Amino acid sequence: MKKILISLLLFVFAFSAYAMAGDLYFGLSAPLTGDYAQYGEVFKKGVELALEEFNEKGGLNGTKIKLIAMDSKGDPKEAANIAQKFVMDKRIIAEIGDFTSTCCLAAAPIYQRAGLVQLSPTSSHPDFTKQGDYMFRNIVTQEAEGPYIAAYAYKDLGKKRAAVIYIQNDWGIVAKDNFIKGFKKLGGTIVAEEKFNPGTKDYTNILTKIKGKNPDIIYIAMMYSEAALLAKQMKKLGMDVPLIGTGALYSPKLIELGGDAVEGLYCTSSFYPYSDNPVVKSFVEKYKAKYGQIPNMFAAQAYDAAGLLLAALKSINGKITRKKVKEALEAIKDYPGVTGLTTFDKNHNVKKQLTKLVVKNGDFVEFKK
Amino acid sequence: MFGQQIVNGLALGLTYSLTAIGFTLIFGVLGLINFAHGEVYMMGAFIAFTLVAFLGVNYFVAFLLAIAFSGLMGYFLELIAFRPLRNAIPEATLIATLGVSTFLKEFANIIWGPEVHTINTPFLSSSFALGGIQISVIQIVILIVSVLLMWGLQLILYKTKTGYAIRAISQDMGASYLMGVNVDNTIAMTFVIGSALGGAAGVLMGTYYGAFYPTMGYMPGLKAFVAMVLGGLTSIPGAVIGGIILGISETLAGAYISAGVQDAISFLILILILLFFPQGLSGKKRSA
Repeated sequence: MKKILISLLLFVFAFSAYAMAGDLYFGLSAPLTGDYAQYGEVFKKGVELALEEFNEKGGLNGTKIKLIAMDSKGDPKEAANIAQKFVMDKRIIAEIGDFTSTCCLAAAPIYQRAGLVQLSPTSSHPDFTKQGDYMFRNIVTQEAEGPYIAAYAYKDLGKKRAAVIYIQNDWGIVAKDNFIKGFKKLGGTIVAEEKFNPGTKDYTNILTKIKGKNPDIIYIAMMYSEAALLAKQMKKLGMDVPLIGTGALYSPKLIELGGDAVEGLYCTSSFYPYSDNPVVKSFVEKYKAKYGQIPNMFAAQAYDAAGLLLAALKSINGKITRKKVKEALEAIKDYPGVTGLTTFDKNHNVKKQLTKLVVKNGDFVEFKK
Repeated sequence: MFGQQIVNGLALGLTYSLTAIGFTLIFGVLGLINFAHGEVYMMGAFIAFTLVAFLGVNYFVAFLLAIAFSGLMGYFLELIAFRPLRNAIPEATLIATLGVSTFLKEFANIIWGPEVHTINTPFLSSSFALGGIQISVIQIVILIVSVLLMWGLQLILYKTKTGYAIRAISQDMGASYLMGVNVDNTIAMTFVIGSALGGAAGVLMGTYYGAFYPTMGYMPGLKAFVAMVLGGLTSIPGAVIGGIILGISETLAGAYISAGVQDAISFLILILILLFFPQGLSGKKRSA
């Protein structure tokens, strides 16, 4: 027994010594199983593609950057556990994740205390980056996206009576609040406000309720897989009201799942794969070659998050420390990502140009008035 | 609007009922809460999905095959995971059901991937208005199929030898054995029937919502458990009524209070029933 213990200790020691001398790691905290697994999966794909490209080009002066991915299951408790593991692991120099704002917020104090960057590709809750100076995000906050969508509905589409359906989590609540604020400011009326719990697949009762209120547009703060179900159920109920929502709806999967029920759905996105931008074109091609599918917004966001960290690493002089990674991120100016030029402001938020999209003939196209 | 909500709730409730029957049968015979039941529901749904989406099988043929497959799966689950534990402490079997549940979920995750899948059934998802109430074809299918399956189950239980054996074992396993009932086969049959019904419910729900995904059995599994308790644990008509009550009250709670408390309502019902009707609404006193 003693022998085994000693050899185990030796092994651990040898392994950590080896690791210290060797490669550097990013930690990825994302829902790889459970209800949000489909989003975590593309997160991982996006990050892995970015790292592969980087390492193929020689890495960081010969040092390879590798990934340790852990499964948060979309559960804030798990996200906090992962944060504990990552901050203890000295090989990890920065963390990417999590997917939901709820998970990011739960893990934030741990990363902040330890001084490890948490860069979330998708957390758009305004409070996230207020948790400390080691929190970064690579997506516009709902404070910016909400009013933008409100203007899309009110000014571009000429809708005046909106109903709101939102998922009852940190992101859903703040997304609908900002939309409502923006829509009312423009002079619109909110005729109904309905929430549902994460995991709900049956929206018929809230839809039936909303039907009676006669809205001319329905704003939905939910993910694309939920939106596809909702659109199908609307069709079954004989409701013909257009839907509008955030970039969370933008995925080819929405159309695959929703079919003709999502025809005419409006959304915004920070990423559009058919853009003429050469950076986007090359990313879409490589992603398609590697995974056999067109990347969605979540893959693009994760790809850019990894790209931002890699750019930061490159700019560091001398020994790489967690603190230097944070400072290098702050110093980045106009990083040319696939989701647009990225610069972190003093609150570690980003401004990005959003594209207005609409589903037409079974495809997302740019909205033109 | 109220009529519409009742229709919505009834469709939901009937599939809870179908799922709850499987639960109830197995509980009645073995006194075992089968936590893998929700995953059998999911597997049934995925089999139908695979047949329709990848092999181009006709929907109704796929539905029947999925039911057969679920039954077969029930048989093997019993054989591999539960029969070896028949004489172990009850907790061991309970934990085995949790193990099977996790295994099947991860299995589906690997085979079909974590994302939501769908099949296109234009005819089934079309709908028509009837006196101001919008009814979809799939809702009618759910109604007809549920009634047929429940009627078939009653026939099996009351008109066949296997049915007599199942009922005998649920009353007293030891005595049935002494009377010459083939206990092993009968328990296996119970799993086959229960799982087939669970699988059928899975296919119907997957089609109804247009969503097939590895965790789809979790919530309905819990809801079916509530429906079973509501119906008094061992009563099949009780489970049916329990499922319908649950489906309708959930839908109405979502419509008139808030969909945010919808799930809380079903578990609130569970607590109230346990407090005030510990034998369920139609249950008889069970001897310990």
